[in-house]
Amino acid sequence: MRFGTMFSDIVSSLLRRPITELYPVERRATPDRLRGQLHWDWEACTGCSLCAKECPAQAVDLIVIDKKAKQFAMRYHTDRCIYCAQCVVNCRFGCLEMSSDEWELASANKDPFTVYYGDEANVEAALADRAD
Amino acid sequence: MIELAALLFFPGGLFVLLNGMAYEWVDRKLVARFQNRVGPRWFQPLADNVKLLVNEEVIPENVDARLFITLPVVALAGVLTAALYVPIAGFDPAFSFEGDLIVTIYMLSLLTMATGLAGANTRDRFSLIGATRTLTQLFSYEAPFLLAFLAPAVVAGSWQISEINDYAGDHLWLILTQPIGAIVALLGLMGKLEIPPFDAPEAETEIVAGALTEYSGRGLALFHLGRNVELVAGITLLAAFYLGGISNPIEYVLKTLAVLFVLATVQTAVARLRIDQTVGVWWRYGVLLVLLQWLALIGAEVIF
Amino acid sequence: MTETEKFSIPIGPQHPALKEPEHFVFSVDGEMVTSASVRLGYAHRGIEKSTENRNWAQNLYLLERICGICSHTHALTYCLGVEKLAGVEIPPRANAIRTLVAEMERVHSHLLWLGVAAHEAGFDTLFMYSWRDRETIMDLLEQLTGNRVNYSANVLGGVKFDVDEELAGAILDGLDYLEKRTYHYLDVVTTDAAFLQRTRGVGVMSAERAERLGVVGPTARASSVARDVRIDAPYAGYDEYVPNLIGHTTGDLEARFEVRIKELFESYRLIREILATIPEGELTSRMPRRIKANEAFSRVEAPRGEVFYYLRSNGSDKPDRIKVRTPTLCNMASVLTLVIGQQLADIPMILVGVDPCFSCNDRMVAINRGGRSEEVWTWERLRQYGIDYYGGSH
Repeated sequence: MRFGTMFSDIVSSLLRRPITELYPVERRATPDRLRGQLHWDWEACTGCSLCAKECPAQAVDLIVIDKKAKQFAMRYHTDRCIYCAQCVVNCRFGCLEMSSDEWELASANKDPFTVYYGDEANVEAALADRAD
Repeated sequence: MIELAALLFFPGGLFVLLNGMAYEWVDRKLVARFQNRVGPRWFQPLADNVKLLVNEEVIPENVDARLFITLPVVALAGVLTAALYVPIAGFDPAFSFEGDLIVTIYMLSLLTMATGLAGANTRDRFSLIGATRTLTQLFSYEAPFLLAFLAPAVVAGSWQISEINDYAGDHLWLILTQPIGAIVALLGLMGKLEIPPFDAPEAETEIVAGALTEYSGRGLALFHLGRNVELVAGITLLAAFYLGGISNPIEYVLKTLAVLFVLATVQTAVARLRIDQTVGVWWRYGVLLVLLQWLALIGAEVIF
Repeated sequence: MTETEKFSIPIGPQHPALKEPEHFVFSVDGEMVTSASVRLGYAHRGIEKSTENRNWAQNLYLLERICGICSHTHALTYCLGVEKLAGVEIPPRANAIRTLVAEMERVHSHLLWLGVAAHEAGFDTLFMYSWRDRETIMDLLEQLTGNRVNYSANVLGGVKFDVDEELAGAILDGLDYLEKRTYHYLDVVTTDAAFLQRTRGVGVMSAERAERLGVVGPTARASSVARDVRIDAPYAGYDEYVPNLIGHTTGDLEARFEVRIKELFESYRLIREILATIPEGELTSRMPRRIKANEAFSRVEAPRGEVFYYLRSNGSDKPDRIKVRTPTLCNMASVLTLVIGQQLADIPMILVGVDPCFSCNDRMVAINRGGRSEEVWTWERLRQYGIDYYGGSH
């Protein structure tokens, strides 16, 4: 039984900088494995849709433009995504990956939350489809 | 005219309020640094109080509204009056008379009384328990606290704060000749300010905000300001009596900050006591210690 | 004292002592608690029912979110159950990595608990420091899994990622620091006079009472009940990496502190052992999308005690029924009996002493009192019932 067992910590803290990081003034590097925004490499995609089928949050829509010609587009909702990487695990062709530095995805309006991937013509086709 | 200025601006009134908020910031910043945190920025206490003063004051049902509104004013007025008799900023107290020490100590208790009454006035269960605890704590530390402050008065041969201050300035620091009294006075002040380990009356995890749970807006701001002024008056009194008196602003700043530093250190290093343990500590050890101090004093008086 | 004269203190659903919504009513006589009751269910989220509309893979992430602190435990329990249902063997390396993450999670959970419990005792300095040091393990978990909470380390049939030399080195460095700090915290909670005033001899639970109330986890072990699923029924990698059972005999709050802190050392030892002897091999086994009709259960020792899952499949790619039981529910009865005769100030401490996680434990239970009156309520009727229930009470 004694008093002030934390006294040594108190003294050492007084001589040290606070541990708190003043985000966003100070930013620390993110680890390589951090799961940020999803990216899609449309050239390797075969359109199996396993990414969309097993997405727990319905954050990924694979839009089929032309199945035979293997033309697809992807609509990705960053606000629905729970960053679990199940789609990345599911993709047998390695077309999906999660960025480790795009993680500051907050926005004041909802527009940036819907991201389209694919080559230009396919994205336009997907957008036109949506407009109808 | 000069008296009115002394009352409203300097060294009373406005100056004490600003001083109180500044010291609250120092206290919070020190505690934060002790805990390896950043802590608030310098204007945080001011911003808190301005925000509270702007906010609506909710008067709950089933309370005596007049009492509910008056109590914060009484509390603040009490401690502001007390501040007039202590050597704030190193100047002679604005007002002074023979026996003002007793008046000052009781004016400081007025805040605690008002807090207790404010809790008892509302029907909130947390407030009622908080009020009980506040008053229980008051009765446990008050006697040793008072006796600890009377010991310097006895050696100085006066019950006037300015004279004790002068006496302390001319002699060896009383913290060296009356170390036990100094410790009891410091702990008593912590009890008065309800800071750890004596923060059972406002233990957040048990009874939310204690006696002041129902207070919001202006009333809460006044109680907070009252607490700040009490802090300033208390540590000034402590520094003046035990740390060799306060005769100029530099001495004032250095000595009060030294007391504040010790206060912050102690409150960081300990856990909260339960209210029954608080009472036990004061009546079992506090009273005993202060009586020991008095016996030593009387002994010294008889021998020399 | 008659019923009406009782002075009762409501704690919750909104109260600074509780981080989650749950409602307790304590009757006090002065500062002494004379009776206690609890009303659970404020954070009922309907997760069990929701699992029936999602496929096996999607449910993994839903169930992982039952608890924010022991998320890996829930994912692991679910995976173990589903793998048992489908009869899939998991590669040994995957099992070792699952165990590794589970132990790292235990470290972060116990450090978190230490901070919360210290805060309830009004010892904010210990709270700040233990949470500061918890950041070490959180950062390591982020480096290892890619996320600070909800790591999603598991997939059905294995794990998502591997451990390499560099990561293992970072983890070992972090553990060295944490171990040093943990010795310090053990010293603080067992010798600090002010803190011991609040823990020693408070909320004493005898072994018989713990057995009778069915208490689980560190709370039970602090009352000398030898109960730990990792030892009693080893799962994942625990048959290779065997933890020692940390027990205590006094059964008071101090014992609960001591048991949890000493378990940290056991976790450090296990993590080091896993990193030193991790078997080579695959990370995943193939998992079928549909599982034929079957039923299985799985048990995992969460940081708070035993987590139990019952799973039933019906041949489709969705479960037929999943039942979850979390340790907080088992420990809740002990809180209500332990507070009787204690001081009001000890309530938060005793409550936190079992390391409650209310949102995890809120689940609907239908009690059939003999009569067979089963009916289905429509959404409209349920809504109206809610309006009448709350509107009518005022």
